[in-house]
Amino acid sequence: MLKSKIAACCSLVIYLCTVPSAYAIPAFARQYGTSCATCHVDFPKLNDFGKAFKDASFKFPKDDETFIKIPPVILGSPAQKELWPHTIWPGTIPGIPPIGLRYNQFFQATNGNANKFNALLPPGTVGAYIPTTDFETGFFSIFTAGNLGDNIGFWVDDDISVSGANANGGLGDAYLRFGDVSRFLRLPTDSLTAKIGQFELDLPFTQARAYDISPYDIYTQTNIGAANPNFPQQFVNNQVSMQDVGKGIEISGGHHYGGYHYSLAIIDQNTSGTPPAFPGNVPSGAGGSNGGVGFNSDSNFKDLYGRLVYRANLDRDPATRHDVQAAGKTGPHTHNYITLGSYYLYGRSVQSISGFTPNGTAPTVLTAREPFYRAGGDFDFNLHDKFDVYGLYMYGHDNNLLPTVTGEATGPTGFVRGNPATFSGGFVQADYMVYPWIVAIMRWDRVNSSSDLLNGYLASTAGAPVTPFFSPFSSVRNRFTPGAQFLIHPNIKASFEYEIRPQQVVYNAANLQSNGVPMRLTNPFRTNTAVVALEFVY
Amino acid sequence: MQRNLLQVAFLGAVLSLMAHASTISGKVAGVPGVSVIYVEAIAGKTFPVPAEQPVVAQRHLMFQPHILPVQQGSTVEFLNSDSVAHNVFWPSVGGNKKLAHNLGTWPQNEKRAFKFDAVGAVPLLCNVHPEMNGYIVVVPTPYFALTSESGEYKIENVPDGSYSLAAWHEGIKNQSKHVDVAGDAKADFTLSR
Repeated sequence: MLKSKIAACCSLVIYLCTVPSAYAIPAFARQYGTSCATCHVDFPKLNDFGKAFKDASFKFPKDDETFIKIPPVILGSPAQKELWPHTIWPGTIPGIPPIGLRYNQFFQATNGNANKFNALLPPGTVGAYIPTTDFETGFFSIFTAGNLGDNIGFWVDDDISVSGANANGGLGDAYLRFGDVSRFLRLPTDSLTAKIGQFELDLPFTQARAYDISPYDIYTQTNIGAANPNFPQQFVNNQVSMQDVGKGIEISGGHHYGGYHYSLAIIDQNTSGTPPAFPGNVPSGAGGSNGGVGFNSDSNFKDLYGRLVYRANLDRDPATRHDVQAAGKTGPHTHNYITLGSYYLYGRSVQSISGFTPNGTAPTVLTAREPFYRAGGDFDFNLHDKFDVYGLYMYGHDNNLLPTVTGEATGPTGFVRGNPATFSGGFVQADYMVYPWIVAIMRWDRVNSSSDLLNGYLASTAGAPVTPFFSPFSSVRNRFTPGAQFLIHPNIKASFEYEIRPQQVVYNAANLQSNGVPMRLTNPFRTNTAVVALEFVY
Repeated sequence: MQRNLLQVAFLGAVLSLMAHASTISGKVAGVPGVSVIYVEAIAGKTFPVPAEQPVVAQRHLMFQPHILPVQQGSTVEFLNSDSVAHNVFWPSVGGNKKLAHNLGTWPQNEKRAFKFDAVGAVPLLCNVHPEMNGYIVVVPTPYFALTSESGEYKIENVPDGSYSLAAWHEGIKNQSKHVDVAGDAKADFTLSR
């Protein structure tokens, strides 16, 4: 059991090294006969034109028909519109299936400290050995995106296999985007757009399409405070992290290349992280039993997410400032700009436990619906994509309803409100473009979670903690990640990261000191990791 | 009387010039697409700079025309006909990197001009759209022609004489050959990669 948990934790570390599902769209390059650099600084990071292309539902923001080299297939003459509602409203499909593929490969090097977690095993038990060097297959992914006419865009991406195992893949984003719905309501152009399907929330900085090898720690942070029975002052078990995709509807407006932008999303809630196990009278979460498409949410409540951001382009010339691309002697793709934004996610974390009625006589199910929110702000200061410094702060707050026992009951009979379970943190990253094909990166991730600290004390022969780090040395963990990216070709990239991880220590919860803190099994150590990635898209 | 003599003399001069204005024609084989054929510099002769300013447009993410031969000293205008920004620069002229120049980036319907004083091929690039490329071929004499897609060309109004005739083709080393022009002359080239 312990062995499998440690193996799972090791897998988690590897997963954290490889998780970003980054996508560039060579399908667009094919359709428009243009280079990746038209839309990307260093794929998949978008330049201003790429942002405008995305804002326009995957079309050139102006005169798209004059740029596309493979004309779309017309599904009905445009004149059919005059006959509507007595005919189907005509649309288009891309002239060729807009399909792109991506593969990446990793090579990792870490030191033997990672094996110190074997100290948690009972004497004589064979532990999972972590090699100091390792070749690791990454993602093989397929993605398709384009425009279906009338400002309707679509996007689907799917990891066909992850780490060489087909079963590990999964659907990423998959949605229809109805652009510029505002024109029907006589609102300003692009002030209202709707996206329906499964999608990454409108995060300040995308995780799914980030170009770093490792994910932002704060985006992977969950709030799990119920993992350690030795420290029962927290009862939250909220598996939601900001990098999760949401299923629902998002409305948005404005532009990502200048001025305001907002988004509001209502998405399914699933704080348990797994589809609910249904009896046989309803379709299952996987859609397997009793037909239907199944249910994946574990709550009636829908999470709400909102974002408001303003970007000020800093070019002196007003015409240039308001254009999609900045002009200049060296032909930058992107303006000088500063962006300030904020975001807010609200939901309810549901936990059901077996308990008793208040008089303690009859068994019943007790359900805690603990409101939670994630809120923060972000900034981005960019000098023509030559130098870009950006970051965000996040504060996570979960109401903490603690089970209580009253009267003669032998189990919980209700809940009382405890101290909220909170965490905070964020990251700051600086990208410096040495040449158009070399980007030097420095990132600082910071997470402060008292839950993680408490959970870390669970490290014992009884089981490993379930936090992202095996045993936190303190409630704060910092990670410094210098790196570099090299475009070998516009569609082939080599990346490097050295992840300087927080100090860790292995405790033995079964052997407490006089102050109640578990004894250390090893001295604090780091499991720093160097990762090299090689990827291509086509 | 004197006026009549002048008129006769002028007519004679014109007829004389017409009699010596010949044509060089031929075909470029071995490579697909258009080539530029031109008479190389003629010792001791200079030519007036044409007043006409040819235009290279950036349209549909392409330089149009893709290849433009111009006489040395010509001024070429670069017009952005697209609704996206374009940049125009060249990393060398005739392989001389010291003549690299960046005209900058500008939006739709704006144009910038540049006078090409150095002879040689000018590879046009756009650093906003790396796939875009075009060529201005700056030649030293007014005697030049762009071949058809099938490689045929005709250079008209070439005075009789002996010349070095050169062929330029995208991505291929220049080829020269001697040609004597006395009346119509023919010169074929076979280029290879």
